[in-house]
Amino acid sequence: MSKIRWSIPITIVLLCLGIMLSLQFQAQTRIASDLTLQRTETLIAMVRGLSEKRQKLALEIIDLGAQLRSQVESNRDEETLLESIDLEMKKLQIVNGTTPVKGPGLTITIEEYMPIIYTDLLNIVNELWNAGAEAISINEHRITGYSTISVAEDIFSEANYSIFMTVNHEKLEYPIVIKTIGNANNLEKGLTLPGGIMDNLALFNAYPKIEKVEELEIPAIQKPVTYYFMNEYKPPEGTIAEEKKDEAANPLTKPLRNILP
Amino acid sequence: MRKFILPLTIVCIISGFFLAFQFKIQTNTTSFDAVSQKNANLINVIQSLEQEIESQEDQIAAMRNQLNEIQNQNNRGKLQDLQQELIRAKINAGLTSVIGKGIVITLDDNKEGLNAAPNDDPNKYIIHYEHILNLVNELKIGGAEAISVNGQRLITTSEIRCVGNLILINMSRIAPPFVISAIGSPKLMLESVSMGQLELLKSAQYPITVEEKEELIIPAYKGELQFNSAVSQ
Repeated sequence: MSKIRWSIPITIVLLCLGIMLSLQFQAQTRIASDLTLQRTETLIAMVRGLSEKRQKLALEIIDLGAQLRSQVESNRDEETLLESIDLEMKKLQIVNGTTPVKGPGLTITIEEYMPIIYTDLLNIVNELWNAGAEAISINEHRITGYSTISVAEDIFSEANYSIFMTVNHEKLEYPIVIKTIGNANNLEKGLTLPGGIMDNLALFNAYPKIEKVEELEIPAIQKPVTYYFMNEYKPPEGTIAEEKKDEAANPLTKPLRNILP
Repeated sequence: MRKFILPLTIVCIISGFFLAFQFKIQTNTTSFDAVSQKNANLINVIQSLEQEIESQEDQIAAMRNQLNEIQNQNNRGKLQDLQQELIRAKINAGLTSVIGKGIVITLDDNKEGLNAAPNDDPNKYIIHYEHILNLVNELKIGGAEAISVNGQRLITTSEIRCVGNLILINMSRIAPPFVISAIGSPKLMLESVSMGQLELLKSAQYPITVEEKEELIIPAYKGELQFNSAVSQ
Protein backbone atom coordinates (compact mmCIF):
# COMPACT_ATOMS: atom_id res chain seq x y z
CA MET A 1 0.00 0.00 0.00
CA SER A 2 2.76 2.36 1.07
CA LYS A 3 4.72 1.41 -2.04
CA ILE A 4 1.97 2.66 -4.23
CA ARG A 5 1.72 5.97 -2.40
CA TRP A 6 5.38 6.73 -3.03
CA SER A 7 5.51 5.55 -6.51
CA ILE A 8 3.28 8.32 -7.85
CA PRO A 9 5.46 11.29 -6.80
CA ILE A 10 8.60 9.48 -7.91
CA THR A 11 7.09 8.88 -11.31
CA ILE A 12 6.21 12.56 -11.58
CA VAL A 13 9.69 13.63 -10.54
CA LEU A 14 11.35 11.28 -13.00
CA LEU A 15 9.06 12.51 -15.76
CA CYS A 16 10.05 16.10 -15.04
CA LEU A 17 13.66 15.07 -15.03
CA GLY A 18 13.32 13.45 -18.45
CA ILE A 19 11.70 16.54 -19.92
CA MET A 20 14.41 18.77 -18.52
CA LEU A 21 17.12 16.52 -19.88
CA SER A 22 15.72 16.65 -23.37
CA LEU A 23 15.35 20.43 -23.16
CA GLN A 24 18.94 20.69 -22.09
CA PHE A 25 20.06 18.64 -25.07
CA GLN A 26 18.07 20.81 -27.51
CA ALA A 27 19.55 23.95 -26.08
CA GLN A 28 23.05 22.58 -26.55
CA THR A 29 22.55 21.78 -30.21
CA ARG A 30 20.93 25.15 -30.80
CA ILE A 31 23.95 26.84 -29.40
CA ALA A 32 26.19 24.99 -31.84
CA SER A 33 24.29 26.03 -35.05
CA ASP A 34 22.55 29.28 -34.31
CA LEU A 35 24.60 32.38 -34.87
CA THR A 36 22.50 34.30 -32.37
CA LEU A 37 23.82 32.05 -29.68
CA GLN A 38 27.50 32.63 -30.63
CA ARG A 39 29.85 34.88 -28.83
CA THR A 40 30.96 38.07 -30.53
CA GLU A 41 34.55 36.87 -31.01
CA THR A 42 33.32 33.79 -32.85
CA LEU A 43 31.23 35.94 -35.13
CA ILE A 44 34.13 38.27 -35.86
CA ALA A 45 36.35 35.29 -36.69
CA MET A 46 33.69 34.00 -39.05
CA VAL A 47 33.36 37.33 -40.80
CA ARG A 48 37.10 37.41 -41.23
CA GLY A 49 37.20 33.87 -42.62
CA LEU A 50 34.31 34.40 -44.97
CA SER A 51 35.72 37.67 -46.28
CA GLU A 52 38.95 35.93 -47.04
CA LYS A 53 37.15 33.15 -48.86
CA ARG A 54 35.10 35.64 -50.84
CA GLN A 55 38.25 37.41 -51.94
CA LYS A 56 39.90 34.19 -53.09
CA LEU A 57 36.80 33.20 -55.01
CA ALA A 58 36.77 36.58 -56.71
CA LEU A 59 40.38 36.01 -57.80
CA GLU A 60 39.48 32.57 -59.07
CA ILE A 61 36.67 34.09 -61.12
CA ILE A 62 39.08 36.59 -62.63
CA ASP A 63 41.50 33.78 -63.51
CA LEU A 64 38.77 31.71 -65.08
CA GLY A 65 37.53 34.71 -67.03
CA ALA A 66 41.00 35.29 -68.46
CA GLN A 67 41.34 31.60 -69.30
CA LEU A 68 37.98 31.61 -71.02
CA ARG A 69 38.81 34.69 -73.05
CA SER A 70 42.14 33.35 -74.23
CA GLN A 71 40.56 29.99 -75.00
CA VAL A 72 37.83 31.61 -77.05
CA GLU A 73 40.45 33.69 -78.83
CA SER A 74 42.68 30.75 -79.61
CA ASN A 75 39.64 28.85 -80.83
CA ARG A 76 38.88 31.73 -83.13
CA ASP A 77 42.50 31.72 -84.31
CA GLU A 78 42.24 28.01 -84.90
CA GLU A 79 39.11 28.53 -86.91
CA THR A 80 40.75 31.09 -89.19
CA LEU A 81 43.69 28.70 -89.50
CA LEU A 82 41.33 25.87 -90.37
CA GLU A 83 39.71 28.04 -93.00
CA SER A 84 43.02 28.96 -94.61
CA ILE A 85 44.10 25.32 -94.60
CA ASP A 86 40.80 24.36 -96.15
CA LEU A 87 41.26 26.92 -98.90
CA GLU A 88 44.74 25.68 -99.67
CA MET A 89 43.66 22.05 -99.55
CA LYS A 90 41.02 22.78 -102.19
CA LYS A 91 43.70 24.13 -104.53
CA LEU A 92 46.02 21.23 -103.87
CA GLN A 93 43.22 18.75 -104.46
CA ILE A 94 42.76 20.19 -107.95
CA VAL A 95 46.51 19.95 -108.60
CA ASN A 96 46.73 16.45 -107.20
CA GLY A 97 43.52 15.33 -108.87
CA THR A 98 42.20 13.99 -105.59
CA THR A 99 38.78 15.52 -106.12
CA PRO A 100 36.48 15.49 -109.14
CA VAL A 101 36.13 18.97 -110.64
CA LYS A 102 33.67 20.66 -112.90
CA GLY A 103 33.71 23.78 -114.99
CA PRO A 104 33.66 25.08 -118.54
CA GLY A 105 36.14 23.84 -121.11
CA LEU A 106 36.75 21.70 -124.17
CA THR A 107 36.41 18.15 -125.26
CA ILE A 108 38.72 16.76 -127.93
CA THR A 109 37.51 13.57 -129.53
CA ILE A 110 39.87 11.18 -131.33
CA GLU A 111 38.45 8.33 -133.39
CA GLU A 112 40.17 5.08 -134.07
CA TYR A 113 40.73 5.75 -137.76
CA MET A 114 42.76 8.91 -137.04
CA PRO A 115 46.52 8.38 -137.32
CA ILE A 116 47.29 9.65 -133.88
CA ILE A 117 49.98 8.17 -131.67
CA TYR A 118 50.76 8.51 -127.99
CA THR A 119 53.25 11.35 -128.45
CA ASP A 120 50.45 13.33 -130.07
CA LEU A 121 48.36 12.83 -126.93
CA LEU A 122 51.38 13.93 -124.89
CA ASN A 123 51.67 17.05 -127.03
CA ILE A 124 47.97 17.84 -126.83
CA VAL A 125 48.04 17.56 -123.03
CA ASN A 126 51.21 19.64 -122.86
CA GLU A 127 49.64 22.27 -125.10
CA LEU A 128 46.50 22.35 -122.96
CA TRP A 129 48.53 23.00 -119.79
CA ASN A 130 50.33 25.68 -121.71
CA ALA A 131 47.02 27.28 -122.71
CA GLY A 132 45.93 27.48 -119.08
CA ALA A 133 44.08 24.20 -118.54
CA GLU A 134 43.14 23.67 -114.90
CA ALA A 135 42.25 19.99 -115.10
CA ILE A 136 42.54 17.35 -117.82
CA SER A 137 41.31 13.80 -118.25
CA ILE A 138 41.74 11.30 -121.05
CA ASN A 139 38.74 9.00 -121.15
CA GLU A 140 38.18 8.53 -117.45
CA HIS A 141 41.82 8.95 -116.42
CA ARG A 142 42.62 12.17 -114.61
CA ILE A 143 45.94 13.63 -115.77
CA THR A 144 48.31 14.79 -113.04
CA GLY A 145 52.03 15.31 -112.70
CA TYR A 146 52.39 11.59 -112.14
CA SER A 147 50.39 10.53 -115.19
CA THR A 148 52.03 8.66 -118.00
CA ILE A 149 50.99 8.41 -121.61
CA SER A 150 52.45 5.50 -123.44
CA VAL A 151 51.99 2.63 -125.80
CA ALA A 152 51.78 -1.07 -125.14
CA GLU A 153 51.72 -4.24 -127.11
CA ASP A 154 48.72 -6.50 -126.94
CA ILE A 155 50.50 -9.70 -125.94
CA PHE A 156 47.30 -11.64 -125.44
CA SER A 157 46.11 -11.65 -129.02
CA GLU A 158 48.71 -13.70 -130.86
CA ALA A 159 46.69 -13.88 -134.04
CA ASN A 160 46.73 -10.22 -134.96
CA TYR A 161 49.59 -8.20 -133.58
CA SER A 162 48.31 -4.92 -132.19
CA ILE A 163 49.47 -2.06 -130.07
CA PHE A 164 47.38 0.33 -128.08
CA MET A 165 47.82 3.58 -126.24
CA THR A 166 47.80 3.70 -122.48
CA VAL A 167 47.22 6.38 -119.91
CA ASN A 168 48.37 5.73 -116.37
CA HIS A 169 49.29 2.24 -117.60
CA GLU A 170 45.70 1.47 -118.61
CA LYS A 171 44.50 0.71 -122.11
CA LEU A 172 42.73 3.53 -123.93
CA GLU A 173 39.57 2.56 -125.77
CA TYR A 174 38.19 4.51 -128.72
CA PRO A 175 36.80 7.05 -129.10
CA ILE A 176 39.42 8.79 -126.99
CA VAL A 177 37.87 11.82 -125.32
CA ILE A 178 40.17 14.40 -123.79
CA LYS A 179 38.32 16.67 -121.40
CA THR A 180 39.81 19.86 -120.12
CA ILE A 181 38.54 22.59 -117.82
CA GLY A 182 39.65 26.18 -118.27
CA ASN A 183 38.92 29.20 -120.39
CA ALA A 184 37.52 27.48 -123.48
CA ASN A 185 38.59 30.23 -125.89
CA ASN A 186 42.18 30.23 -124.67
CA LEU A 187 42.32 26.45 -124.72
CA GLU A 188 41.02 26.29 -128.27
CA LYS A 189 43.40 29.01 -129.40
CA GLY A 190 46.30 27.11 -127.87
CA LEU A 191 45.48 24.01 -129.89
CA THR A 192 44.62 25.69 -133.19
CA LEU A 193 47.49 28.19 -133.25
CA PRO A 194 49.09 28.41 -136.74
CA GLY A 195 51.92 25.91 -136.69
CA GLY A 196 50.48 24.43 -133.51
CA ILE A 197 49.50 20.90 -132.62
CA MET A 198 46.35 20.79 -134.77
CA ASP A 199 48.25 22.05 -137.81
CA ASN A 200 50.83 19.36 -137.16
CA LEU A 201 48.19 16.66 -136.98
CA ALA A 202 46.53 17.96 -140.13
CA LEU A 203 49.76 17.13 -141.96
CA PHE A 204 48.92 13.51 -141.19
CA ASN A 205 45.25 13.98 -142.07
CA ALA A 206 44.22 13.72 -138.47
CA TYR A 207 41.47 16.11 -137.46
CA PRO A 208 40.39 15.56 -133.84
CA LYS A 209 37.04 17.12 -133.07
CA ILE A 210 37.22 20.07 -130.69
CA GLU A 211 34.07 21.16 -128.89
CA LYS A 212 33.47 23.89 -126.35
CA VAL A 213 31.40 22.74 -123.42
CA GLU A 214 29.57 24.89 -120.86
CA GLU A 215 30.11 22.48 -118.04
CA LEU A 216 32.34 19.45 -117.89
CA GLU A 217 32.97 16.96 -115.15
CA ILE A 218 36.42 15.54 -114.71
CA PRO A 219 36.89 12.58 -112.37
CA ALA A 220 39.41 12.24 -109.56
CA ILE A 221 42.47 10.02 -109.81
CA GLN A 222 41.70 6.36 -109.30
CA LYS A 223 44.73 5.35 -107.23
CA PRO A 224 46.46 7.45 -104.61
CA VAL A 225 50.08 8.34 -105.34
CA THR A 226 52.68 6.42 -103.36
CA TYR A 227 56.34 7.22 -102.96
CA TYR A 228 59.21 4.91 -102.25
CA PHE A 229 62.23 7.13 -102.89
CA MET A 230 61.13 10.69 -102.26
CA ASN A 231 61.16 12.46 -98.90
CA GLU A 232 60.40 16.01 -97.95
CA TYR A 233 63.62 18.00 -97.83
CA LYS A 234 64.02 20.81 -95.37
CA PRO A 235 67.01 23.00 -96.12
CA PRO A 236 69.52 23.11 -93.22
CA GLU A 237 70.05 26.21 -91.10
CA GLY A 238 71.90 28.96 -92.89
CA THR A 239 70.07 28.62 -96.14
CA ILE A 240 66.85 29.62 -94.41
CA ALA A 241 67.32 33.28 -95.20
CA GLU A 242 67.41 32.46 -98.87
CA GLU A 243 64.48 30.10 -98.52
CA LYS A 244 62.48 32.81 -96.81
CA LYS A 245 63.17 35.14 -99.67
CA ASP A 246 61.89 32.51 -102.06
CA GLU A 247 58.84 31.87 -99.98
CA ALA A 248 58.03 35.54 -99.76
CA ALA A 249 57.91 35.54 -103.52
CA ASN A 250 55.54 32.60 -103.50
CA PRO A 251 52.20 33.40 -101.90
CA LEU A 252 51.31 29.74 -101.75
CA THR A 253 54.02 28.69 -99.37
CA LYS A 254 53.46 31.67 -97.14
CA PRO A 255 50.76 30.18 -94.94
CA LEU A 256 52.89 27.09 -94.41
CA ARG A 257 55.28 28.90 -92.12
CA ASN A 258 52.39 29.94 -89.95
CA ILE A 259 50.87 26.58 -89.52
CA LEU A 260 53.98 24.49 -89.10
CA PRO A 261 54.42 23.65 -85.36
CA MET B 1 8.52 4.45 4.60
CA ARG B 2 11.77 6.14 5.61
CA LYS B 3 13.57 3.84 3.29
CA PHE B 4 12.37 5.99 0.40
CA ILE B 5 13.46 9.33 1.73
CA LEU B 6 17.13 8.95 0.82
CA PRO B 7 16.69 8.02 -2.83
CA LEU B 8 14.01 10.67 -3.17
CA THR B 9 16.36 13.28 -1.79
CA ILE B 10 19.07 12.26 -4.21
CA VAL B 11 16.66 12.48 -7.14
CA CYS B 12 15.51 15.89 -5.99
CA ILE B 13 19.07 17.16 -5.67
CA ILE B 14 19.95 15.97 -9.18
CA SER B 15 16.82 17.44 -10.67
CA GLY B 16 17.51 20.68 -8.83
CA PHE B 17 20.98 20.75 -10.36
CA PHE B 18 19.62 20.27 -13.83
CA LEU B 19 16.98 22.90 -13.28
CA ALA B 20 19.59 25.39 -12.21
CA PHE B 21 21.77 24.57 -15.21
CA GLN B 22 18.86 24.87 -17.58
CA PHE B 23 17.99 28.19 -16.13
CA LYS B 24 21.55 29.37 -16.43
CA ILE B 25 21.59 28.62 -20.13
CA GLN B 26 18.31 30.39 -20.64
CA THR B 27 19.56 33.48 -18.90
CA ASN B 28 22.85 33.19 -20.78
CA THR B 29 21.12 33.50 -24.12
CA THR B 30 19.10 36.43 -23.00
CA SER B 31 22.09 38.04 -21.37
CA PHE B 32 23.50 38.55 -24.90
CA ASP B 33 21.02 41.35 -25.19
CA ALA B 34 23.69 43.73 -24.03
CA VAL B 35 25.77 43.15 -27.15
CA SER B 36 22.94 41.87 -29.31
CA GLN B 37 22.93 44.92 -31.56
CA LYS B 38 26.58 44.44 -32.45
CA ASN B 39 26.07 40.73 -32.92
CA ALA B 40 23.04 41.27 -35.11
CA ASN B 41 25.16 43.41 -37.41
CA LEU B 42 27.83 40.76 -37.53
CA ILE B 43 25.24 38.14 -38.26
CA ASN B 44 23.91 40.24 -41.14
CA VAL B 45 27.40 40.57 -42.53
CA ILE B 46 27.98 36.84 -42.22
CA GLN B 47 24.72 36.01 -43.92
CA SER B 48 25.32 38.37 -46.82
CA LEU B 49 28.85 37.03 -47.15
CA GLU B 50 27.53 33.51 -47.26
CA GLN B 51 25.06 34.44 -49.95
CA GLU B 52 27.72 36.14 -51.99
CA ILE B 53 30.05 33.17 -51.64
CA GLU B 54 27.32 30.86 -52.80
CA SER B 55 26.71 32.87 -55.95
CA GLN B 56 30.47 33.07 -56.55
CA GLU B 57 30.73 29.32 -56.29
CA ASP B 58 27.88 28.91 -58.74
CA GLN B 59 29.62 31.26 -61.15
CA ILE B 60 32.90 29.37 -60.84
CA ALA B 61 31.16 26.09 -61.51
CA ALA B 62 29.49 27.55 -64.59
CA MET B 63 32.75 29.00 -65.89
CA ARG B 64 34.59 25.72 -65.38
CA ASN B 65 31.88 23.95 -67.33
CA GLN B 66 32.16 26.44 -70.15
CA LEU B 67 35.93 26.08 -70.23
CA ASN B 68 35.64 22.31 -70.34
CA GLU B 69 33.23 22.52 -73.21
CA ILE B 70 35.53 24.75 -75.21
CA GLN B 71 38.53 22.59 -74.48
CA ASN B 72 36.67 19.48 -75.47
CA GLN B 73 35.68 20.84 -78.87
CA ASN B 74 38.56 18.77 -80.17
CA ASN B 75 39.73 21.37 -82.64
CA ARG B 76 43.30 20.74 -81.74
CA GLY B 77 43.33 17.15 -82.92
CA LYS B 78 41.43 18.09 -86.05
CA LEU B 79 43.91 20.87 -86.76
CA GLN B 80 46.89 18.57 -86.41
CA ASP B 81 45.33 16.00 -88.71
CA LEU B 82 44.61 18.68 -91.29
CA GLN B 83 48.14 20.04 -91.08
CA GLN B 84 49.51 16.55 -91.68
CA GLU B 85 47.17 16.10 -94.62
CA LEU B 86 48.16 19.50 -96.00
CA ILE B 87 51.86 18.66 -95.85
CA ARG B 88 51.24 15.37 -97.65
CA ALA B 89 49.21 17.20 -100.30
CA LYS B 90 52.00 19.74 -100.73
CA ILE B 91 54.63 17.04 -101.14
CA ASN B 92 52.36 15.31 -103.64
CA ALA B 93 51.75 18.54 -105.55
CA GLY B 94 55.44 19.48 -105.68
CA LEU B 95 55.30 22.45 -103.35
CA THR B 96 58.10 21.20 -101.11
CA SER B 97 61.72 20.46 -101.85
CA VAL B 98 62.31 16.74 -101.87
CA ILE B 99 65.31 14.51 -101.45
CA GLY B 100 65.97 10.96 -102.52
CA LYS B 101 67.79 8.52 -104.72
CA GLY B 102 67.68 9.21 -108.42
CA ILE B 103 69.37 10.11 -111.67
CA VAL B 104 70.57 13.27 -113.35
CA ILE B 105 70.55 13.43 -117.14
CA THR B 106 72.43 16.28 -118.80
CA LEU B 107 71.65 17.11 -122.43
CA ASP B 108 73.30 19.66 -124.61
CA ASP B 109 73.03 20.87 -128.18
CA ASN B 110 75.26 19.00 -130.60
CA LYS B 111 77.61 21.91 -131.23
CA GLU B 112 80.38 19.71 -132.59
CA GLY B 113 78.05 18.17 -135.13
CA LEU B 114 76.83 21.59 -136.19
CA ASN B 115 80.38 22.91 -136.51
CA ALA B 116 81.34 19.92 -138.63
CA ALA B 117 78.36 20.48 -140.96
CA PRO B 118 77.77 24.22 -141.03
CA ASN B 119 75.49 24.03 -144.06
CA ASP B 120 73.14 21.48 -142.54
CA ASP B 121 69.82 22.44 -140.89
CA PRO B 122 70.78 23.63 -137.38
CA ASN B 123 67.48 22.27 -136.05
CA LYS B 124 68.97 18.81 -136.35
CA TYR B 125 71.62 19.69 -133.80
CA ILE B 126 69.75 21.46 -131.05
CA ILE B 127 67.69 20.04 -128.22
CA HIS B 128 63.98 20.65 -128.80
CA TYR B 129 61.27 20.94 -126.19
CA GLU B 130 59.79 17.69 -127.45
CA HIS B 131 62.96 15.82 -126.57
CA ILE B 132 62.56 17.00 -123.00
CA LEU B 133 58.81 16.35 -123.00
CA ASN B 134 59.37 12.76 -124.13
CA LEU B 135 62.22 12.17 -121.73
CA VAL B 136 60.12 13.43 -118.85
CA ASN B 137 57.21 11.19 -119.85
CA GLU B 138 59.56 8.22 -120.02
CA LEU B 139 61.01 9.05 -116.63
CA LYS B 140 57.45 9.02 -115.27
CA ILE B 141 56.80 5.68 -116.93
CA GLY B 142 59.94 4.51 -115.10
CA GLY B 143 58.35 5.56 -111.84
CA ALA B 144 59.88 9.00 -111.31
CA GLU B 145 58.48 10.56 -108.16
CA ALA B 146 59.80 14.09 -108.66
CA ILE B 147 61.36 15.74 -111.71
CA SER B 148 63.00 19.07 -112.32
CA VAL B 149 64.57 20.56 -115.45
CA ASN B 150 67.21 23.21 -114.82
CA GLY B 151 65.74 23.73 -111.36
CA GLN B 152 62.17 24.07 -112.59
CA ARG B 153 60.06 21.56 -110.69
CA LEU B 154 57.53 19.82 -112.89
CA ILE B 155 54.03 19.68 -111.42
CA THR B 156 50.65 18.70 -112.83
CA THR B 157 50.09 21.94 -114.72
CA SER B 158 53.68 22.41 -115.90
CA GLU B 159 54.14 22.83 -119.62
CA ILE B 160 57.29 22.35 -121.65
CA ARG B 161 57.28 24.44 -124.77
CA CYS B 162 59.32 26.61 -127.01
CA VAL B 163 59.06 30.16 -128.20
CA GLY B 164 61.45 30.72 -131.07
CA ASN B 165 64.70 29.22 -129.88
CA LEU B 166 63.81 29.40 -126.21
CA ILE B 167 62.51 26.56 -124.13
CA LEU B 168 60.06 27.53 -121.42
CA ILE B 169 59.04 25.47 -118.42
CA ASN B 170 56.56 26.94 -115.96
CA MET B 171 56.85 30.07 -118.12
CA SER B 172 60.53 30.33 -117.13
CA ARG B 173 63.23 30.39 -119.76
CA ILE B 174 65.71 27.57 -119.55
CA ALA B 175 68.84 27.28 -121.64
CA PRO B 176 71.18 24.43 -122.55
CA PRO B 177 72.75 22.43 -121.07
CA PHE B 178 69.52 20.91 -119.79
CA VAL B 179 69.87 19.16 -116.48
CA ILE B 180 66.98 16.80 -115.84
CA SER B 181 66.88 15.52 -112.26
CA ALA B 182 64.52 12.73 -111.29
CA ILE B 183 63.97 10.99 -107.95
CA GLY B 184 62.95 7.38 -108.19
CA SER B 185 64.44 3.98 -108.90
CA PRO B 186 67.55 4.70 -111.01
CA LYS B 187 67.34 1.27 -112.57
CA LEU B 188 63.72 1.52 -113.69
CA MET B 189 64.02 5.09 -114.92
CA LEU B 190 67.18 4.36 -116.90
CA GLU B 191 65.56 1.31 -118.40
CA SER B 192 62.61 3.40 -119.49
CA VAL B 193 64.59 6.23 -121.10
CA SER B 194 67.12 3.90 -122.66
CA MET B 195 64.41 2.25 -124.71
CA GLY B 196 63.22 5.61 -125.98
CA GLN B 197 64.22 9.21 -126.25
CA LEU B 198 67.62 8.95 -124.59
CA GLU B 199 68.73 6.28 -127.03
CA LEU B 200 67.51 8.35 -129.98
CA LEU B 201 69.44 11.39 -128.77
CA LYS B 202 72.56 9.33 -128.18
CA SER B 203 72.46 7.86 -131.65
CA ALA B 204 72.08 11.42 -133.01
CA GLN B 205 75.39 12.24 -131.31
CA TYR B 206 74.05 14.70 -128.77
CA PRO B 207 76.40 15.08 -125.80
CA ILE B 208 74.62 13.31 -122.95
CA THR B 209 75.70 12.34 -119.47
CA VAL B 210 73.74 10.23 -117.01
CA GLU B 211 74.59 10.10 -113.34
CA GLU B 212 73.09 7.99 -110.62
CA LYS B 213 72.82 9.80 -107.29
CA GLU B 214 72.31 8.37 -103.84
CA GLU B 215 70.96 11.68 -102.68
CA LEU B 216 69.37 14.14 -105.01
CA ILE B 217 67.59 17.32 -104.00
CA ILE B 218 64.80 18.59 -106.21
CA PRO B 219 63.49 22.08 -105.48
CA ALA B 220 59.90 23.06 -104.83
CA TYR B 221 57.57 24.52 -107.45
CA LYS B 222 57.57 28.26 -106.98
CA GLY B 223 54.94 29.34 -109.47
CA GLU B 224 51.28 30.17 -109.28
CA LEU B 225 48.36 27.87 -108.70
CA GLN B 226 45.36 29.89 -109.76
CA PHE B 227 42.15 28.12 -110.62
CA ASN B 228 39.32 30.22 -111.98
CA SER B 229 37.25 27.74 -113.91
CA ALA B 230 37.62 24.42 -112.10
CA VAL B 231 35.44 23.91 -109.06
CA SER B 232 35.98 20.99 -106.68
CA GLN B 233 33.02 18.76 -106.19
